[in-house]
Amino acid sequence: MRKILLLFFLCSTLYTEAFTQGKYTLSGYIKDAETGEVLIGATVLIRELSKGVSTNTYGFYSITVPEGEYNIRFSYIGYKEVDKNIALTQDTRMNIELGSTSQLMEEIVITGEKEDKNTTGTQMGTIELDMEKIKKLPAFMGEVDILKTIQFLPGVQSAGEGNTGFYVRGGGPDQNLILLDEATVYNASHLFGFFSVFNADAIKSVELIKGGMPANYGGRLASVIDIGMKEGNYKEYKVDGGIGLIASRLTVQGPIKKDTSSFIISGRRTYIDVLAEPLIKPTSAFKGSGYYFYDLNAKVNWRLSDKDRLFVSGYFGRDVFSFKNKDLGFNMRIPWGNATGSARWNHLFNDKLFVNTTAIFSDYDFAFEAIQDEFEMILSSGIRDWNLKSDFTWFPNPRHNVKFGVNYIFHRFTPSSVSAKQGETVFDVGGIQRMYANEGALYIMDDFDLTDKLKLNAGLRYSAFQHIGPFTRYYVNNRNQTDSTKMYEKAKTVKFWQGLEPRLAMRYLFKDNSSIKAGFTHNYQYIHMASVSGVSLPTDVWFPSSDVVKPQIGTQYSLGYFRNFKENLYEASVEVYYKDLKNLIEYKEGVSPGDDIDNNVDNQLTFGDGYSYGAEFFIKRRYGKLNGWIGYTWSKTMRKFEEINAGNWFPAKYDRRHDLSVIVQYDLTARWSFGAAFVYATGNAATLPQQRYFWEGEILVIYGERNSFRLPAYHRADVSITLHGKTHKEYKDAETGEVKRQPKRFISDWNFSAYNVYNRANPYFIYFGNEGNFNEGNFKVSAFQVSLFPILPSVTWNFSF
Amino acid sequence: MEKTFLKYLLYSFLGIVFLSCQKEITVDLPYSETQIAVEGRIEQGLPPMVVLTRTMGYFDPIDANSLKNMFVKGATVTVSDGTYTATLTEFCAASLTPQELELFAQFTGIPEDQLQSLDYCIYTSTDPNIFGQPNTYYTLSITTADGENLSSVTKIPQPVSLDDTWFKRIEGAADTLGFVWARLTDPDTLGNAYRWYAMRINTYKFGPDADQQKDATFIAPRGSAFDDKFFNGTSFDFSVVRGRIPNSSKPDDNNSERGFYKVGDTVVVKFTSIDYNVYKFLFQAETQLGNNGSPFESPSTLPTNIEGGVGIWAGYAVYLDTIYCNP
Repeated sequence: MRKILLLFFLCSTLYTEAFTQGKYTLSGYIKDAETGEVLIGATVLIRELSKGVSTNTYGFYSITVPEGEYNIRFSYIGYKEVDKNIALTQDTRMNIELGSTSQLMEEIVITGEKEDKNTTGTQMGTIELDMEKIKKLPAFMGEVDILKTIQFLPGVQSAGEGNTGFYVRGGGPDQNLILLDEATVYNASHLFGFFSVFNADAIKSVELIKGGMPANYGGRLASVIDIGMKEGNYKEYKVDGGIGLIASRLTVQGPIKKDTSSFIISGRRTYIDVLAEPLIKPTSAFKGSGYYFYDLNAKVNWRLSDKDRLFVSGYFGRDVFSFKNKDLGFNMRIPWGNATGSARWNHLFNDKLFVNTTAIFSDYDFAFEAIQDEFEMILSSGIRDWNLKSDFTWFPNPRHNVKFGVNYIFHRFTPSSVSAKQGETVFDVGGIQRMYANEGALYIMDDFDLTDKLKLNAGLRYSAFQHIGPFTRYYVNNRNQTDSTKMYEKAKTVKFWQGLEPRLAMRYLFKDNSSIKAGFTHNYQYIHMASVSGVSLPTDVWFPSSDVVKPQIGTQYSLGYFRNFKENLYEASVEVYYKDLKNLIEYKEGVSPGDDIDNNVDNQLTFGDGYSYGAEFFIKRRYGKLNGWIGYTWSKTMRKFEEINAGNWFPAKYDRRHDLSVIVQYDLTARWSFGAAFVYATGNAATLPQQRYFWEGEILVIYGERNSFRLPAYHRADVSITLHGKTHKEYKDAETGEVKRQPKRFISDWNFSAYNVYNRANPYFIYFGNEGNFNEGNFKVSAFQVSLFPILPSVTWNFSF
Repeated sequence: MEKTFLKYLLYSFLGIVFLSCQKEITVDLPYSETQIAVEGRIEQGLPPMVVLTRTMGYFDPIDANSLKNMFVKGATVTVSDGTYTATLTEFCAASLTPQELELFAQFTGIPEDQLQSLDYCIYTSTDPNIFGQPNTYYTLSITTADGENLSSVTKIPQPVSLDDTWFKRIEGAADTLGFVWARLTDPDTLGNAYRWYAMRINTYKFGPDADQQKDATFIAPRGSAFDDKFFNGTSFDFSVVRGRIPNSSKPDDNNSERGFYKVGDTVVVKFTSIDYNVYKFLFQAETQLGNNGSPFESPSTLPTNIEGGVGIWAGYAVYLDTIYCNP
């Protein structure tokens, strides 16, 4: 009831203010002067009123103020600000282009008063990453990876050594929503998680929301990573590329029609297989075996009119492993990967109402094909989405920023599809199992100033999920035999779920450039992924909420103190959170993959609850020659499942008491920059054998309580040096004899990185080795720790022309 | 299957590309209470055999002393088929005459020297009234000298015969090696489960074990237990590798002949039908033995049908067949 009252209150204040007379709207796009790409989060400040707004994801801003003459400052970090004086006597459209300071080769000094989003915004637990800075940080094997950079942030924990998987504030790996141009990426990793699918050359913006998820996002409990692809240069053709140790990249972008339409196409491929090919003898039984992955990003944009813009973008990536053994007549191929496509249409109804409508296709699939002599087996799994959404942004007046929208997704899940035959004999392995579902959501939210000090972001999301036929439910007894089945016809409802998701965030601003923020979010998650093993494998399958699987529900409370120092040179925050999780899923103990034949995948699950709480400390030096951050998280994450650990609470696999990251970047000169990273984390929780017994002359193991053992702590330091090529060439003018500088067309730089510089042997896993023979009474068990990566130097050469 | 494969793929990837390194570490495990482990079986036509041991700490070293204390002695063990109850007698290797020890070794399939060094103890019976019969439930009850009570029930199902068995050499590999094949017609009822054993009864012609029978006992290879989920009611051919006694030091268990049968072998196949609970234990026990603490498998507690302890009480229905491995 209180929520409804709040909404009513919210709407009524909107209307009274929206229809006040004598006000005009200033709106437009803010763009990069060099490439023509829009700038996200650039600020517009009306100095006389000390009022400001920032641009949305599409670079659009709108501010409505009383008639008058104003000095307006447009600014964006890393860009030279632009000041304009205008007499606002009617609604005015003003598109602004900002020049990058790095082009000007001078010291970056930004004094814009609006560089204090950290303290003035209502957002909590939200971090935007600067792609240019990410590229200067040390990179694992020389491959710049945004998902690994995200792991350096407080509240985000790495899934493991060299792994792109991550956990946010005690949430599971399936509770992160990863969006690439609004399309869901279901499996964001290549090669068992060592590399992410995001080619840094094609990425423009990265935003991580780990707490206080606003109402325009939903469907996941823990976090949103919203990644935007570059639009392509509207002004001139440009080629960027890089040659690294394991992969090479090439990006081509340029205008289709100058200042009106542009394109970008970017590719990356590994070449271990190509390099190894000549070394394998043609007579070798293994000829034809190999591994590679590739990514392809493409995007095209049109500015159809002053009010309409169209973006079409796509991603396609594959991992392919093939193995051949002629001697055994064995032949196998395993391809897996994602494909996404988005078509987006921005439309301005008027200066105050902006809409973005997107049609999205997203697909992840995995296949395993094996042939040996007459035996043939094909296995596949995956998920495919068709998604349609409309998001409106309404700027009624400077005190309010209203968003509302609608979203519909049709999901097709393929948890397993197996076929096997030997010669003419076809085995009954269950055939294709598919599950279908409709998911929908409606939301409205308002970010508004209640007073000059108190700002509120209130939102409400309604979500619904319908698992539909065709579907067969297997009712299985405790001998794993099917007692009976129930068939649902096409489009018939198997189960309907729905929920209301209130979201609330508030900020109270103090005089000394500091603020207190509080947040409350309540989220529903209708699709799930369970993993048998501890590492993310391409075989991990997604499946819907159904008649046996309830939606996961997450409730998070957070509180934070934010403060900026020294003209916003430093920003600092302390956040505490408590998160309650319901209806979590895990596989039952001892489940084997074959169990889903003539059975539903979700019959193998056990359900439970969890909670997590923690404190996150963050301090960042935002710009200058020396910049970087320190993040520290203290947290605790527990789980409880009916059929695991005898129903007792146990620490989650990723329960980590301490997690520290230190990131430093130093630009010595315009040509030399240095980067360093240090991480320390409490060791992973592990389940170890506790007792053993003899059976048929062998030793069987009784495991201790789930995750009751801790591996040694993880720590590591990485360093990098970037040598930027000369951007100008100098020559003597023949007539005057003056030394003149001319910009170079071809620019290149070298990046040298070293991973794990002090060669720490971090535990990846522990295994046990036996020595001797117990019949002879000299049997001994030893524990061994396996570490993955020693010091790993790498070099990458990047170029652009 | 695909997960297992990916696991190996990941291992080889990690091993080859990243030169992973390892070191020995000490692990301090918290103290935990020991339990009683049951290895009990009743086979069609044979008496029940029950071995009772105590579990031990995972890192406890095993020496002569700990082995002596491992066997649970002096327990009262009974087996009942519902109408007839027999009390089993405890036999310990140390108290047997050489002749009895030889019989004991044949009976248990454990070499004499091992029986002696471990002071192996087994509870069994010579009463033919309690020998295993198909389609019968058997209840096991145990009371230890310390007053602990354990119990279990298993079933010897109806035996299922193999349609045919034969030996087939593998192409391309060493000329005389191959696998044993069998054709099974699975009954039309779901929930049948099997365990495969085989024994070579011909003798070694030369080498350290010349003139000895190649296998002293029936051996179940890894992956010996399977159920009919994939092939219920169908006929199909399958091949089986040759198993080996754990820790075997025999040459042909450790050289290129490992896992293979050889032209000239005479192989007795014991194809047993088992209860589903027994299958579940065997399948997971074999999986655990194969995983050896791999991080890519979630550690799971083995199922058991023993009330008050761990292990398994298993009934086996038997079908026997003999194969001559002709070229």
